[in-house]
Amino acid sequence: MENKRINKQAKIVGNVEIRPGIFVMTILCPEISTSSSAGQFCMIRPGNIQGLDPLLRRPLSIHFTDQEKGHVQFLYRVVGRGTRALSRQLEGEFVEVLGPLGRGFQVEEDEIPILVGGGLGVAPLLFLARQLMGRRAIAILGAITKSQLLRLEPFRETGLEILVSTEDGSFGNQGLVTEVLDRLVSRLEDEAKANVAIFSCGPYPMLRAVYHLCSAHGVRCEVSLETTMACGSGLCLGCAVKAKDGGYLHVCKDGPCFRAEELAWE
Amino acid sequence: MTNHTEKEKKEPDLQIKLGRLILQNPVLLASGTCGYGKELEDLIDLKKIGAIVVKGISLEPRKGNPPPRIHETPCGLLNAIGLENVGLEAFKSQKLPWLREHKIKTIVNILGNSVTEYQKMAEGLSGLEGVDAIEVNISCPNVKEGGVAFGTDPRAANEVTRAVKKACDLPVIVKLSPNVTDICEIARAVEDAGADGVSLINTILGMAIDIERRRPVLGNVFGGLSGPAIRPVAVRMVWQVARTVRIPVIGIGGISNFRDALEFLMAGASAVQVGTATLVDPGAPEEILTGIVDFMVRNNYSSIGELKIGD
Repeated sequence: MENKRINKQAKIVGNVEIRPGIFVMTILCPEISTSSSAGQFCMIRPGNIQGLDPLLRRPLSIHFTDQEKGHVQFLYRVVGRGTRALSRQLEGEFVEVLGPLGRGFQVEEDEIPILVGGGLGVAPLLFLARQLMGRRAIAILGAITKSQLLRLEPFRETGLEILVSTEDGSFGNQGLVTEVLDRLVSRLEDEAKANVAIFSCGPYPMLRAVYHLCSAHGVRCEVSLETTMACGSGLCLGCAVKAKDGGYLHVCKDGPCFRAEELAWE
Repeated sequence: MTNHTEKEKKEPDLQIKLGRLILQNPVLLASGTCGYGKELEDLIDLKKIGAIVVKGISLEPRKGNPPPRIHETPCGLLNAIGLENVGLEAFKSQKLPWLREHKIKTIVNILGNSVTEYQKMAEGLSGLEGVDAIEVNISCPNVKEGGVAFGTDPRAANEVTRAVKKACDLPVIVKLSPNVTDICEIARAVEDAGADGVSLINTILGMAIDIERRRPVLGNVFGGLSGPAIRPVAVRMVWQVARTVRIPVIGIGGISNFRDALEFLMAGASAVQVGTATLVDPGAPEEILTGIVDFMVRNNYSSIGELKIGD
């Protein structure tokens, strides 16, 4: 076991609706805040529902950690019963949390990382951007429209070069993040292409486009996938996704961050 | 615990006997919810658990069903994993040594497409150090052939149990399906065939539909329902079976806390298996065990058998 997982009740120190239906929850959990790495996730559920409904904890990427304060932060959207229950939790209440889980992003020492996040996909990328502070790295962040761009300020604070795009052109470049990425990568010499690596999270069609683009340019690419999970810890095998070789991979333990070429893209 | 008010109250005897199989306590981990043990090494003290029933093993590896494989329902979980497993040989060479080294009581859940396959599985496990018993899965609802076919026909259940008993020298527990008209009939059939115990219930066959996409949610269309939603059905079936057969009964079905476990032990089960609750919270099995002990101390029970409600 690479890092010991923690299973406990953690106190909520903040649960703020930053946009309609989008929340940032901060919990006090020093063990996870010091042992997790970017791209890993936690299984989380309100601590006061006596185990019955919603039954399962929900997988949420770690968005941000503050090791000094022992804080762990999650950026999430209310999509169903589990996240709705989480959104109703108040500061001072508790959540059940298990983490850190899964394979995070694996950044090589000598490569130039390019982070590509669409919509809520910025969630695990802020953690990565903070781990990359002081390094040469670029983050491309996009959304449908300006009001849906998330967490620009915290990204800017990392000092990374930030490129922004919106599909309707209401902020930054007009177009898709993949178009920004394409322009960026196309300008590179072959030698430079071998030195960059893409780390991406967002809707499946976006990730697929990122993968195809990287594959065409011969650029290394890792993606963070989202699936329904029951346990998050390799017990139930419920989070299977198709692998390139015809078998299945499990998002909770083989991922959630995969080398994009391992996956069978549909 | 600090609430021992009367000095004469002492620790109850938790040991249970399932035929020749002696377990230190009645809380087991259910197959398919605890991997092969190692997956839980940093989260559960497996030595404190009665036994672990490992993920169902087939003769050859299986890659499982297409996703989506799971879906949450009110107080329940629908799954159609499709018995993804490493196969008998990889289990023996890669999974069993760890369980043996850590001296974890291990019950191996086996499944097959034919009586011959079950028999070969039993032969392959017979005499292996570290294997304490076999649980014969004749009740998985999530594979096309085999499995459940043996669990819904008393004659086939009898035949497969007989073959497994003959092929190995291990205690044999048969895991029963609730998806039958009369579960007692199947329980009697496997008892007649020499089973050392029965465990029940496996998941209840179910289905969910995605109304936006107008199609079944699960890749396999049907799945097995587990979790608190099925507990009353399971308690009823354990009650019935415990009054039908003389061999020990292991209760399974939606056990989330010690009160749930006690319902099964009172209904007539000699032991229980915790499944879905472990997926939700890996700390659950140990908490359930502690809760049972505290309850027994509080109420002056000295053994698990005393919990049973008499006829």
